[in-house]
Amino acid sequence: MSNLLATENVTKKFGGLAAVNDVSITVKQHTFTMLIGPNGCGKTTLINCCTGILKPTEGRVLLGDTDITGWPTHKIYEVGFVRTFQIPLPFLGLTVLDNVLGAMRNSGEAPLKAPHRRLWLKEEENNMERAMAVLHRVRLDKHWNKPSHTLGAAQLKMLEVAKGLAAGAKLIALDEPIGGVDPASADEILSHVSALKNEGLTFLVVEHRIDIAAPYADYIYAMDLGRLISQGTPQQVLGDPKVIEVYLGKGATEAC
Amino acid sequence: MKSQSTQRNLKSLLLNSEILAVVAILMALTFFLTTRGLPMVLTILVDFAVFAIITMSLNLETGFTGIPQFGRVLAVIAGAFAVGAIPGRLLAALMGLPAGLNYTIDTVQFQVSPELTAALSGSWMLSLLFLFICLVIAALSGAGIGWLTSRPAIRLREAYLGISLLAFGDFLMWVGHNWVPLVGGSTSVFVPDPFRIFGGARFEAVVIAIFLAALLVYAYLNRLTVSPFGRALKMVRDNEVSASAAGKDIVKIRTQSLVIGSMLAAIAGGLYVIYTGTVTAMGYSRLVWTFWPWAFMMLGGIGSTAGMLLGVMVLTIMRTLITVYRFEVFGFLMAWGINPLWLEFTLMGAVIIGVILFLPHGLVPEKVQSILPASRVNSILSKGFGAKLQ
Ligand SMILES: Nc1ncnc2c1ncn2[C@@H]1O[C@H](COP(=O)(O)OP(=O)(O)O)[C@@H](O)[C@H]1O
Ligand SMILES: [Mg+2]
Repeated sequence: MSNLLATENVTKKFGGLAAVNDVSITVKQHTFTMLIGPNGCGKTTLINCCTGILKPTEGRVLLGDTDITGWPTHKIYEVGFVRTFQIPLPFLGLTVLDNVLGAMRNSGEAPLKAPHRRLWLKEEENNMERAMAVLHRVRLDKHWNKPSHTLGAAQLKMLEVAKGLAAGAKLIALDEPIGGVDPASADEILSHVSALKNEGLTFLVVEHRIDIAAPYADYIYAMDLGRLISQGTPQQVLGDPKVIEVYLGKGATEAC
Repeated sequence: MKSQSTQRNLKSLLLNSEILAVVAILMALTFFLTTRGLPMVLTILVDFAVFAIITMSLNLETGFTGIPQFGRVLAVIAGAFAVGAIPGRLLAALMGLPAGLNYTIDTVQFQVSPELTAALSGSWMLSLLFLFICLVIAALSGAGIGWLTSRPAIRLREAYLGISLLAFGDFLMWVGHNWVPLVGGSTSVFVPDPFRIFGGARFEAVVIAIFLAALLVYAYLNRLTVSPFGRALKMVRDNEVSASAAGKDIVKIRTQSLVIGSMLAAIAGGLYVIYTGTVTAMGYSRLVWTFWPWAFMMLGGIGSTAGMLLGVMVLTIMRTLITVYRFEVFGFLMAWGINPLWLEFTLMGAVIIGVILFLPHGLVPEKVQSILPASRVNSILSKGFGAKLQ
């Protein structure tokens, strides 16, 4: 399996603070790769550096063989890498369906084509079928016609995931997709993601709730204080004393 | 059950601000028609049409894209100045009349301008061609100025962007006022009249033409914005970071919005100077050509193209009522040292405050609805998702 995404010694400093410190990870094709670590350890910042929201202070980001370091976010989308946000960022003036459709491509976005409905209607309808299928997965299909500002917090979280899944990317980074979602729904979403992986997609999933998410992971990276502290299969990482220490506090390893 | 719902319908009908506004507009127009005659109504219509185009263009940039366009006057000026400076010169050059830098000097104008209009009024073909060239030149200069302002402005945010656009707007007015070869500096430049060929019906003809232009712009903007492009504009407006994560090129989309909006505003500026027949640089204050459109837009309902028509019409009628009756009705204000001459300017300020306080979404609030017609969505849904509209 080849590397789809690789960060090479990525560092991101905010003033004096190195939120991400010399982190190198690889995401292999057709895997569910997880990034774990306590709050504030730099997971979101690393994703931001990979997707052009932030420019790394040092290091490189590679997608396949292409160096995408510092590319604008929309260009990274163009080459097949999308991400979702930990705190949902819905388009409040659009319906639930249009939120998802907007994350997909349609040639009717060109202003010269836009006024001629027949030039883009077919695309829009095809997109819509896919969008509704994705919304069905995250149980939002019944709400397709609602303004997105009427959704509750957990539903907005699901809408954020739906936007990412619908975009038609080969690599999807999900930043805490199941935070605040009940365990049953969380399982359902993760098994859907797993199914998509088997269809050929690749996922980089940041998750706080290891208990629910780890069983789905092929490979896990653990971070603490901006640094990588462990990596390997779920068993290896969750059994690593350094990881246990970070999650359960100092002394936990001896107690076990 | 049935009577209850009829009652509710009736009540919502009466409380519906859109319908109330339309009824009020029709009553006011009838009132003007019977008391003041047709010319008054036509004046209202042409004012309405020019400002409707400008306000709809503002709404494209501000309402749909979230650009704080405080310099709408700039593109209007671009269209007005271009039509004042270029087509007349072209015609003059064609006819062997002075067409150089001195074309705009008032003594030359008084000699050349009647000859140009005389030439136009002799030929339908020439008049039509001239009108067409005026509109093309206005559109191009508007698109150009929109693109130029988008370069430095596009990277700035909210307040800084708003202030830059405002400064650009004033800048061009002062250039026109001080640089005579453009549009005559402190004197006016005449625009050869492509509607003179209608003779006694010139006024009616030009009003109808501009009114039709406004309807065309309305139809165009409706089609332009109810589309994936319109959705992308709203995405940029609602959340830039999320829009770029969804593959939208923010700089490109803002530029497109500024170019199209400025082009339309410039066409309105060009039509306006064709209607009035002259261009005077100092006539393009930001009060009238930026802040009034903002008041129209806020009253109409930011983000709603149909609302723009309503907002412009309601305020144009109120403005006309004030200008017609300011001394008869408001003459008493003189005793308090308030000159009613300025009432229409006060009105716009009062409207902005009133809308913010009592009608924050305007007369026609923006509708959140899917781009696809519900019938098409339903036919696709019936294939298997089982979540139909209602
Ligand atoms: N834009 C920013 N400016 C300054 N500090 C930031 C910024 N974003 C994140 N940080 C800091 O970087 C650290 C890592 O944050 P983050 O990547 O959000 O952690 P995580 O996603 O692992 O919870 C935190 O200490 C946070 O306060
Ligand atoms: Mg985070």
